[in-house]
Amino acid sequence: MLRQIKPRNARSKRALEKKAPKAIENPKSCLFLRGTTCSQIVQDAITDLYSLRVPLAKKFTKKNAIHPFEDPASLEFFSEKNDASLLVFGSSSKKRPHTLTMIRTFGHKTLDMLELHLDPQSHRKIDQFKGRKFAVGLRPMIVFAGTAFDSPVANEYTMAKSFFLDFFKGEGSDKIDVEGLQYIVSISAEEPLGDDDKPAIHLRVYLISTKRSGQKLPRVEVEEMGPRMDFRVGRMQEPDAEMLKEALKKPRTNEERTKKNVTTDSMGDKLGRIHLGRQDLSELQTRKMKGLKRSRDMDDEVAAGDADEAPKSKK
Amino acid sequence: MAPAPKLDITVDKPTPYTFDLGLLLANDPNPLPAADPAVPQEERLSAVARDGAQALVNQLLSTLPLQSTQAGVLLDLPPPATALPREKPLPPAKEQTKWEKFAAKKGIKPKTREQRRAKATQFNEATGEWEKTWGYKGKRKEGVVPDDWVVEVNENGDKLDDKKSGAAAKKRRKA
Repeated sequence: MLRQIKPRNARSKRALEKKAPKAIENPKSCLFLRGTTCSQIVQDAITDLYSLRVPLAKKFTKKNAIHPFEDPASLEFFSEKNDASLLVFGSSSKKRPHTLTMIRTFGHKTLDMLELHLDPQSHRKIDQFKGRKFAVGLRPMIVFAGTAFDSPVANEYTMAKSFFLDFFKGEGSDKIDVEGLQYIVSISAEEPLGDDDKPAIHLRVYLISTKRSGQKLPRVEVEEMGPRMDFRVGRMQEPDAEMLKEALKKPRTNEERTKKNVTTDSMGDKLGRIHLGRQDLSELQTRKMKGLKRSRDMDDEVAAGDADEAPKSKK
Repeated sequence: MAPAPKLDITVDKPTPYTFDLGLLLANDPNPLPAADPAVPQEERLSAVARDGAQALVNQLLSTLPLQSTQAGVLLDLPPPATALPREKPLPPAKEQTKWEKFAAKKGIKPKTREQRRAKATQFNEATGEWEKTWGYKGKRKEGVVPDDWVVEVNENGDKLDDKKSGAAAKKRRKA
């Protein structure tokens, strides 16, 4: 835990305000770390992921004696110190070779963790692909393919999906240049063969080229840009239900909430539907006929009564 | 010359894609095509990615409003629909000021526009017109002696044009 600093000048005050919780948050930044043992393959993978995430990323190269699933305190410290809520920790051991641990924090406390084991055979770096590369800071399009990611219960795959969405979302602007749709991240998983079968997650990044199709929309072609990574899922730590609920809270916005029972029709007229109490049909004014009058003698009285009632019924 | 053959831009899948255009995301809920020794795995994956990219581009360009500016053609993205966790907790609500607390306790509400207007203009029944209570063309208070009740004049009866005395000087002093 970092000590609470009271700002003594305007600059440190601004820096603290930048870090403070906000209703509309800053884009998440991602921190890349390595353990005491980290294979070259994992280091290369981290470098590639870092280059996909720039400029909202930081990469440290010193060795850290951290075991995320045993004690995440150190990672929480890194998260707070660097104001990063996404962490990627690379390590490699005999028992868990070529491991990338994806960690998300909420309020600088670990929210969830997922271990992904990189397949060293199929891994390719960005540099190993020839051809053009994307410009730094562009937002990728994302496609998830496979039934595993649509699982209704939370599992490794839905967590991986959520993490990669956070990872590739970037700044999340509400406008995008059509020219800026240059590359796509495709994350796919095969069909699980049995209940215990955990198929690999394939991460591929493709550059997009569009061709005139002779129709209004263009024909899209893809060309692999790298990196190419295949992950085997490992351990995971699910988010604490309470914490997740807190993390998914939406800020109150100034947008007006839709009013119930008020609609606007095609002519632009405002229509309201209101509730009237139960109608009393016994007081309904029906057609008057001379023959139905109670008696000729009470003619005058009835006439007076009618005059009183008439305006009421009109309402 | 024969026209160029039309390229296929439609994507047909048994289960339709779902999109979250705010995140530029397409979900392909179909199982990947079965492994086939004749087709390398990379080709299968790139075919899946191509279909996804095509479906997403189609959806983006056909459903979203386009904006042509000097910087380029911009797409207005809707807010993201997929719930992603926040990075920090929501900031606590601002503490009420002493006045706000008091006003809430007493049930004092800020005046509405109509209430303020009702005070600023009064209906004069004698003339049948709305009169301003103060300000330009405002109603003068009754029983109050006006500031310029005595005015210096010269022999002809004209107002003295001395700027140091009279109404002009008074006004200046006030300001």
